[in-house]
Amino acid sequence: MIAPVAMSILAGVLIGLSRQVNGRLSLTKGALGASFWNHLVGAIALALAALAAWGVSNGPLVPPGLSEAPLPAWAGGPLGVLFVAAGSWLVARIGAANTALLVIAGQMVSGALLDTLREAEGAPIRALGVAIILAGVAIPRGSKG
Amino acid sequence: MTAGPDPAAATRPRVLHVLAALGTGGLLSLMVLCNSTITAHANALWGSLVPHATGTLAAALALALLVRRSHGERTGSAPAWAYLGGLLGALTVMLSSVAANTALALSGTLALGLLGQAGFGLAADRWGLLGLPRRRATGRDLLALGLILGGSAILIFGAPA
Repeated sequence: MIAPVAMSILAGVLIGLSRQVNGRLSLTKGALGASFWNHLVGAIALALAALAAWGVSNGPLVPPGLSEAPLPAWAGGPLGVLFVAAGSWLVARIGAANTALLVIAGQMVSGALLDTLREAEGAPIRALGVAIILAGVAIPRGSKG
Repeated sequence: MTAGPDPAAATRPRVLHVLAALGTGGLLSLMVLCNSTITAHANALWGSLVPHATGTLAAALALALLVRRSHGERTGSAPAWAYLGGLLGALTVMLSSVAANTALALSGTLALGLLGQAGFGLAADRWGLLGLPRRRATGRDLLALGLILGGSAILIFGAPA
């Protein structure tokens, strides 16, 4: 159980670390430039990994099911560009902890909203979670700066 | 995109920042929806490769259209490591998809990931890690942190199975 716990926490740390690294790059390249480099380097690394996986397996390079994925699912990339650019812009302005917490809040609340729109069960407990998160967002902070 | 991060403004989230950050989190929910759909049709590697590739194209296009306006005041060069954020993102996807398939399940992975993010954020601000501004957490910051993480835990663990 120790290994998965460590991996999960490490995944969270890496999210913060990559935002910090991209935030540093945004100081000289701009938020959009940082997002471009983030995606280019990630794409090259993943393409090499895909080639390596293709090399050891006997399967096709491109998974056959990919062409059947609905077209809107391909929008994840352009959305990611905005996501990384916004994160880089924010972390240099309001700090790493504020950025992380507010982005988490937005993710959780919008996820709960999507669940409600899809009529998933458990609406009352979702409303409670959302209310507590929004209370946290609404606390006035950092005014000494 | 007006002024760069001046030290005084860097410590205080304004309404614009809060709205931008909440919207950014909303983007993440949509991204997860898109990327997990690709993963379901292909596999986890392609579920990350596809958005990174289409994102590279989209960013290049946006830069080509906007670059003249945003070039203004930036000078100097970034250290080489600053270009490697994308490697961390690619690694994150692999780590979390491995962890989500263990006894922890997706909810435990998500919750621990939030703890990791919050902890890293506090440390990064405290010591000004990687060349970004330092910022000391206040009691109110910690209260907000507790509420946001607590509410998130309710959403993550309170969902009916």
